[in-house]
Amino acid sequence: MFRRLLIANRGEVAVRVARACRDLEISPVGVASESDFGARWLDCMDEVVCLGPSASRESYLRMDRVVQAALQTHCAALHPGWGFLSENPRFAALCEQHGITFIGPPSSAMEVMGRKAPAKAAMRAAGVPVIPGSIGLLTSVEEAVVCAREAGYPVILKADAGGGGRGMRKCFDEAQLRTAYVQAAAEAEAAFGSGALYLEKYLEGGRHIEVQVMADRFGNCIHVGERECSVQRNHQKLVEESPSPVIDAATRARIGGIAVRAAQSIGYVGAGTIEFLRADDGSIYFMEMNTRLQVEHGVSELLSGLDLVKLQLHVAANGRLPLAQEGVKFAGSAIEVRINAEDPSNGFRPAPGTLAAFDFPRDVGPGTIRVDTHMQAGDAVSPYYDSLIAKVIAHAPTREAAIETLLACLRRARIEGVATTLPLHLAVLDSREFRSGTYDTRSIPGWPAATR
Amino acid sequence: MTREILTLRVRRDGEHVLLEAPSVGHFTEAVAPGGALLAGAKAGVLITLGRAFDLVVPQDVAGVVDGPVHERVHAPVGYGTLLYRLRPLEGAGVAQASAAAQESKGAPTFRSPSAGRFWHRAAPGEPALAEAGDVIETGKPLGLIEVMKTFTLVTYQPTAGLPARARIVRVLASDGAEVAEKAALFELEPA
Repeated sequence: MFRRLLIANRGEVAVRVARACRDLEISPVGVASESDFGARWLDCMDEVVCLGPSASRESYLRMDRVVQAALQTHCAALHPGWGFLSENPRFAALCEQHGITFIGPPSSAMEVMGRKAPAKAAMRAAGVPVIPGSIGLLTSVEEAVVCAREAGYPVILKADAGGGGRGMRKCFDEAQLRTAYVQAAAEAEAAFGSGALYLEKYLEGGRHIEVQVMADRFGNCIHVGERECSVQRNHQKLVEESPSPVIDAATRARIGGIAVRAAQSIGYVGAGTIEFLRADDGSIYFMEMNTRLQVEHGVSELLSGLDLVKLQLHVAANGRLPLAQEGVKFAGSAIEVRINAEDPSNGFRPAPGTLAAFDFPRDVGPGTIRVDTHMQAGDAVSPYYDSLIAKVIAHAPTREAAIETLLACLRRARIEGVATTLPLHLAVLDSREFRSGTYDTRSIPGWPAATR
Repeated sequence: MTREILTLRVRRDGEHVLLEAPSVGHFTEAVAPGGALLAGAKAGVLITLGRAFDLVVPQDVAGVVDGPVHERVHAPVGYGTLLYRLRPLEGAGVAQASAAAQESKGAPTFRSPSAGRFWHRAAPGEPALAEAGDVIETGKPLGLIEVMKTFTLVTYQPTAGLPARARIVRVLASDGAEVAEKAALFELEPA
C-alpha cells in the first residue's frame, strides 16, 4: 500500500479521502489555494502545499503545480476526488509520467468516456442499450434533420464535450432543429472549445438511475447497486437514494450486469458510475459514465457496508477485489440530501458567508445518520468554489424509516449565518410525491416550481 | 540559453519587503543573506516538473537580504512561501529606468534615468546585459548605473511612447561612460 498520498481536491471530498487514508495508515497530503490555506478542514492532513491564488484555474486546476506538489512531498499516489482534474485524461497521464499512481481508471478509459459520442459508440458495441439518435457526431444540419426524422421528435442536441446543460437544445420540429443546431454549436464552441454536437431522441421526464461499479486490475468487476438521483434542479442532483423505489430485484441484477459489462468492455479500473435513464415505459438507456468517485457514493456505502474509497486505494495499489458479486449484500434503504449554500427561495442564489451555527443531531431514530462535511460553526463558506457544505445520509431498514430518520435530523439541524437548501429538503422529504416515489427529473417533489 | 522567468510575489511588512514564491517547486540558487536584490535581478531558480524558471525581483523593490537562510540546496516550496526578507538598501534610490519622451524626429531612444556612470555588464568579465540586435521587453535589464558608488540596475520600461517590445539598433553610451540624466543610451526600433 502507498505510504503517502496527495489529495488533489478541497473541502468535503478531501476530508473524506483523508479519512480512508488514515484507516489504511497512509499519510494524507493536502493542497490548498491561497484563500483555503489555513482552513480548519486541512487539519486532517499531515502536510499542505499551497498551489496558487483563489481562482481554481490558478490553483486546483494547475496540473503542473499539483503534480509537483505530489513529487516534492514524496507522495506515491494521487487521489483526484471529484470535479477539478478528476476526469482529465491528460492529468492522469501526467501523474503516471512522473511515477505517481493516479487513483482512477487508465487515461484511455477516461478518454473514451469523457466524450459523449465515443462513449455511446463503445456502449453500443458492448451491447448496452443507448438512446436512439445520431451514430457518432453530426457533420451537418442536414444529417441532424435525417437523424431526427428516424428517431422521431422531440429530439435533443447535445455538445460532445458538454456538461451542466450548456450546448443543449430541445427541438420539437424541423424548423426548431435548424435554428437550434447553429446556436448549440456556437454555445458549445464557446463553453467547451469544441462545437461538435450529437443528437438523441428527447425522452421527457424519466428517472435518473445510476449504477456504482468497482473494478480491479485483474479484470474483476462488481456493481454496488443503483442510486436513484431523480430529484434534480437544472441537472444538479439534490437528493440521492438507494435502492430506487422503481427498481425491483430482477431489474437491479439486469442493469448491474449491464454496468459491469460496460466497464469491462473499456478495461475500466477503480470506482465508476454508469448513469442510465429509465423512461416512463420502464426501458433503460445508457446516458454516460463518470470515471471517478461520485459525491453520492456514501449512499451505496451505507447500503452495502463497503468503503468505496478504501477499495479505490486497494485496487490502485494492485490489490484484487476482496469480494465477488455474490458477496455484495444490500441492507435496508439509504437517502442522502445535499446541503448547499444556496437560497432555494431566491432562485438558488449562491449564499457565501460565515456559519454562525452548524450542527446536525445524530441522536435520532429509527435509523442512523452519517454526515460528511468539512465545515464547522465559525467557518466561512468560500465564494470561489462549489456550494456543497454537507451531505446528510440516513440509513434504516426501510425507505419509510430512512425518511423519518432524515427528517428528524434535519428538523433539529441548526444552520445559521448562511442560507442553505435545508428548507427545500424538509419540504421534499415530507411531500406525498417523494414518499410514494412518483416523481421524475422535471420537478422537485414538494417544492413549488415558481421559486426554482 | 534563456530560461523562462517568474516574478517573485511581493508583500510589505513595515520597512521590510517580503519576497514569496510565485509557484510550487524546488527552490535553488538562493541569494545568501547580505546580498543585494534590485528590481529585475535574478534571485534564484524554481524547478517545477523538471522545468527551471528564473525567479526575478519585481519592480520597485530594492534591499539587502536579511533572511531566511535556505539550508537545503533544493528546498520544496509552495505558492506564497517566504523566500527573502529584505531590509532597505542604505542610500540607494531604485532607479525607475523610465525614459523620457522620444524625440519627435528620429528613432525611439531609451534614455538614462539619472546622471552617473553607465555600465554594460553586471561584473567585469561577464557578457553585456544588452547588445545591438537584442529584442527587449518590459523589465529586461539593460545595464547598471553607478551613482555615488551605488549600482542600480537599469531595466527597460516602455514609457512615453516607446514600444512594449523593441529591438536595440545601436548602443549609444559606451561601457563606463559618464552620462547625464536623460542621455541617450540605446537607439531602438519596434519589434
